[in-house]
Amino acid sequence: MIAQALDILTTAAILYAVATGLLLVFGVMKIINFAHGGLMTLGGYAALVTTQLGLNPWLAIPAAALFGAVAGMAIERFVVRPLYARPLDAILATWGLSIVIGQLITIAFGRGVQFAQAPLDGTLDVFGESYSAYRLALVPIALILGAGLTALLQGTRLGLETRAVIMNEDLARGLGINSGLVRFLTFTLGSALAAIAGTLITPLSSVDPGMGVPWLVNAFMLVLVSGASLVSLLVSCLVLGGAQVLVSTHLSPVLGGLTIAVLAAIILRIRPQGFARD
Amino acid sequence: MTESRRLGFILAAALLACAIVAAGPYLLDTYSVNVLTRSLLYAAVALTVDLLWGYLGILTFGQSVFFAIGAYAAGLVFTHLDFSNANAVLALGLGIGAALLTAAIVGWLAFWHGASALYASVITLVLPIVATQLLYSGGTFTGSSSGLSGFTSFDVSMEGWFWIAGFFLVAVTTGAFIFVKSDAGRLLVAVRENEQRCKYLGLDTSRLKIAVYLACAAIGAVAGYLYAGYSMVVAPELAGFVFGTELVIWTALGGRGTLLGPVFGALIVDYESAQLSGDYPFVWQLIIGIVFVLVIVAFPRGLLPMVVALPRRLLARARGPASPAGEMRLVRLDPTLTQGEAPGDGAALAVKDVAKHFGSLSVLSGIDFSARAGELVSLVGPNGAGKTTLMRCIADGSERSAGSIVVNGHDIGRRPPEACVALGVGRKFQMANVFETLTVAQCLQVARVRHARPSFWKRSRTLPLPEAALHVLATTGLDRQLGTPAHLLSHGMKQALELAMVLALEPRVLLLDEPTAGLTKTERMQIGGILTELTRRQGLCILLVEHDLDFVREISSRIIVLHQGRIVLDGSVEEVVNSELVRQVYAGSGHAGIAHSAQPIQTGAPA
Amino acid sequence: MSRRNLLAGTVLAGVLAAALGAALPTMPAFAADTVTIGIPVGLSGANSVVAPSVVQSAELAVEEINAKGGILGKTVKLEVADDASGAAGAQKAFDSLIFQKKVDVLISMETSAARNAGLPIVNRGKTPYIYTSFYEGRSCSPYMYVNAWVPDQQVAPIVDYFKDKGAKTYFLIGSDYAFGRGMLAFTKSYIEKIGGKVVGDEYAPMDATDWTAILSKVKAANPDAIITSTAGGAPNVTLTKQLRAAGVKALYGNLAVDEGTAKSMGADAEGIYISGSYFTNIDTPANKAFLAAMDKKFGAGLKTPNDLSVPEYEAVYAYKAAVEKAGTTDAAKVIRALGEVSVEGPRGTITMNKQRHAPLTMYLGQVQADGGVKILSTFKDVDPGEQCPKLK
Repeated sequence: MIAQALDILTTAAILYAVATGLLLVFGVMKIINFAHGGLMTLGGYAALVTTQLGLNPWLAIPAAALFGAVAGMAIERFVVRPLYARPLDAILATWGLSIVIGQLITIAFGRGVQFAQAPLDGTLDVFGESYSAYRLALVPIALILGAGLTALLQGTRLGLETRAVIMNEDLARGLGINSGLVRFLTFTLGSALAAIAGTLITPLSSVDPGMGVPWLVNAFMLVLVSGASLVSLLVSCLVLGGAQVLVSTHLSPVLGGLTIAVLAAIILRIRPQGFARD
Repeated sequence: MTESRRLGFILAAALLACAIVAAGPYLLDTYSVNVLTRSLLYAAVALTVDLLWGYLGILTFGQSVFFAIGAYAAGLVFTHLDFSNANAVLALGLGIGAALLTAAIVGWLAFWHGASALYASVITLVLPIVATQLLYSGGTFTGSSSGLSGFTSFDVSMEGWFWIAGFFLVAVTTGAFIFVKSDAGRLLVAVRENEQRCKYLGLDTSRLKIAVYLACAAIGAVAGYLYAGYSMVVAPELAGFVFGTELVIWTALGGRGTLLGPVFGALIVDYESAQLSGDYPFVWQLIIGIVFVLVIVAFPRGLLPMVVALPRRLLARARGPASPAGEMRLVRLDPTLTQGEAPGDGAALAVKDVAKHFGSLSVLSGIDFSARAGELVSLVGPNGAGKTTLMRCIADGSERSAGSIVVNGHDIGRRPPEACVALGVGRKFQMANVFETLTVAQCLQVARVRHARPSFWKRSRTLPLPEAALHVLATTGLDRQLGTPAHLLSHGMKQALELAMVLALEPRVLLLDEPTAGLTKTERMQIGGILTELTRRQGLCILLVEHDLDFVREISSRIIVLHQGRIVLDGSVEEVVNSELVRQVYAGSGHAGIAHSAQPIQTGAPA
Repeated sequence: MSRRNLLAGTVLAGVLAAALGAALPTMPAFAADTVTIGIPVGLSGANSVVAPSVVQSAELAVEEINAKGGILGKTVKLEVADDASGAAGAQKAFDSLIFQKKVDVLISMETSAARNAGLPIVNRGKTPYIYTSFYEGRSCSPYMYVNAWVPDQQVAPIVDYFKDKGAKTYFLIGSDYAFGRGMLAFTKSYIEKIGGKVVGDEYAPMDATDWTAILSKVKAANPDAIITSTAGGAPNVTLTKQLRAAGVKALYGNLAVDEGTAKSMGADAEGIYISGSYFTNIDTPANKAFLAAMDKKFGAGLKTPNDLSVPEYEAVYAYKAAVEKAGTTDAAKVIRALGEVSVEGPRGTITMNKQRHAPLTMYLGQVQADGGVKILSTFKDVDPGEQCPKLK
């Protein structure tokens, strides 16, 4: 029982960390960034490089943010910007980019499975249940990410402008907000978050050129169900992530792997705005 | 060029393609015959991606699944029941049936009234993921990850399979080509261009999408069936997301919305990858990825249009300017046929207690009025009074929050716009809302689809229209611009075109949202004249939203004043124009007093 | 379209046209005085990690054979083609090798999906085919021989060893694919045959990297031993890492890990039991000579030889022996001879005379702290069992 609760909590935390960057980009730009998986992979390799240089594993997070941000800037400028008016094409172009990122990484690092050092090892005892320390650590990490983003959106001028663009871009532009700049910064931030997520999953996973892709569809579905709100994303991660854990445990892990995608599709069919308020 | 000559040309091209296919095995080595047989079948599936994405605007990642369904139907039947002629027919039937069933479920999920394009794409993305997982979980029945192999299949030589695949592709391509160029096929582009307008022209776009989707599923299943028969192996990757996106990549590279582009895209890229991926596996992927991104960003129309553009330009120069597409002939419909039933005695439109709110914000409340046939009722009021919202509530049953709306004696209930059109509602939008890439004549044809079932292979050379629509065309001079694409029209002409389109529906209740906005004085007078005549001679009931009070005064038989979501005045032109209240409303003063007066001041005698 | 776009478009079209042109005239380099060996292998996709080592060992075999005068005096040539580790890629690779390059034999380490996709093409081309990858068993074709292990050979060593260690309850974890299911189905029946109890068997999707729910079940069941058979690469590695992070202490037998991967996993791999027909520290002169030759030929670029690459090396020699016995490269005669010849290689003496499969010497090993594998026991000539009763 406790183990299952912990499974749900930590799974939701991982999903939350993985999906925030995608959510931000979707909320502001109304496009789905299919390069998200590729950018996560980039973050994984940032962790690998950190390990290879013998640095403290926690340093992988800022390194990944840097990698992701730089890649995000280039992608926004050269690929995403011309496609604002064509959101379906943006999906395709960013998907093509994730192929490119994957192949470049393969050429640079090889196809093989590699390993980054985990910042935390071993288990902790929680209510008499020994549980992976790193998975537990992800819960506060995800919360910090969410709180930091919320503070950024609520507490800064850029955040205010971003929210204005989310609500009504035309109006925001009419008020003198440089929505192009907001989009650029959002995409950069979203890409950095994707790379950070990639780093965060490396201790649970291996580092290989395809590591980010399996996460993409789930993250994508969670974002669609959540609309543009960090709070409803939290709800969707808990509900759908919880459903995944329950189905995996009590029915079969194979069905569990499909739970998020199928449930989200059905939720959207019944309630197009998903977990977001009207 | 006559219609039969046009079809003749297409068939001649198809025969030429068949001849090339027939010669193929004699010109190519065994290796190329082998590789191309598969590519030909893949190309047939890429064609369905183009029909859905290029023409209908549905980006689909899941066409691979229908290919796999056809292939697995053959693989499963031949493995578990053994091969026989009867079983071969059974497998084909099962494959097509299962594909249609799957497509119907997906269609129900993805193409319901109000589903966004993104949502539809998402569903097609989930489909291959689920399908692959099911195949993996099938154990020895589906062969799991290894697929099924070693089953017996048709005793046909390699050349035979090349011909079967080639003729199949030519047949499907020709059929698709004839269809998309036909009157019915044009609806696909109309839906892609402007689905909302299609619905308000009475087209059930969800059904249209599902129908095309089902047809594409069946084509994919047959291609997959042939694939399994030829290659004698089926594997879960056939159903996968990767193959699904590959199909999209081929389509995008070849040129979406061209049919031939995706076919050649699939053939060339698949054949080349057989050659090059062996030598440079990673670099080849990288090149495909880069080219794909480049094409999407810089050449969204794909490579075929570029290849074709140059010779076509030269050809055009040699031929001189293209003949204006004035081949379309306008025909007047017999008025006794068009306005068949005489306007009844009851109200043409009855609105009872209609309210609309977004959350706690009330936009309309207690709207209660009715209008007879032959009345021209103008809705006036300041911005934000709820005029357009009211129009929307009358034209779409799902819009209002409370109350009822009766059109010609039929309660619209919760019916979608296309069903309201069937009851006799015609709506013209505030912004000119036409099909930008279609010509004037084609836009009007789409508007007539509700009354005359379009042909699936022919292009009509005549355009029968009711008198009212013809009148609009003649008055504005649009009848001399039938071949002009709508996006080249002036703003006023677009407004007139949309009005003609709505009139072509033969509505009993006409909703006009600022039909004269942005028009010149003369154009305005023309439209005004047309409208009064429509009410007088044909007994239409017109509901008009207007800001220009002079115009309103000139043509209305009655005026309703809306303010802050309520009717504040409902009376004759004289009463309203002279009303102090209206002056206050427009001056922006006295809001409080009016907005909260419980009872609208009834001065007129409606219904 | 702007001028710049037009230019880029022209360049693009040009590249495609050039690629097409370059590809068409590639005619088979076919000559009477060479013997061509085709190697369809997963240079890209799931098998791309291990594929280079497979190609290397084939290259060494060919070099050695040519240095000693080739096969029947003919020079041996290799043709490698990428099968992208899947069915569609394998069809292209087999088509290319059989009909374009017109190879005399196919020797390949491939996924089961790729092998199955290739077999109908092998039938059409009537080409001898030696499959050198361990697999889930019972794949039969009149043109195919297999010189690697099947579940019947691999499972017993680990389960017997665990039984001796006192294990009574077992938990099985696999990826949901043919190999994972095939291996564990056999393992389960074997455990029950020797009186053990399977307290759980769970499968995750093939590309799954999240094992949370399964691990919770493992902890709840608290088995004496765990045996896993996942897809290679990421799923295998993530399972091991998460198993260790969750603090599971049971005996851990992994049916899918190879030496190289174990080494790169570091501390997490320590203590894992593995079984196979080849480990680098098999203490025989043949193996030492093989390793020395590999080292000399590839130096720093050497990919560690493993249970998938060594059979490839031996299969090239098996083909040589068969051709020499038949006195010709004629397919029908070579196919008959392949079941009769024996090869002395790093794994010992191997004859593919048991229903197209080979009895093999199997080893049980345990991963050490330094990543090396310590061989705990050796099982001589383990029989592959009934694989293809319809074929001799």
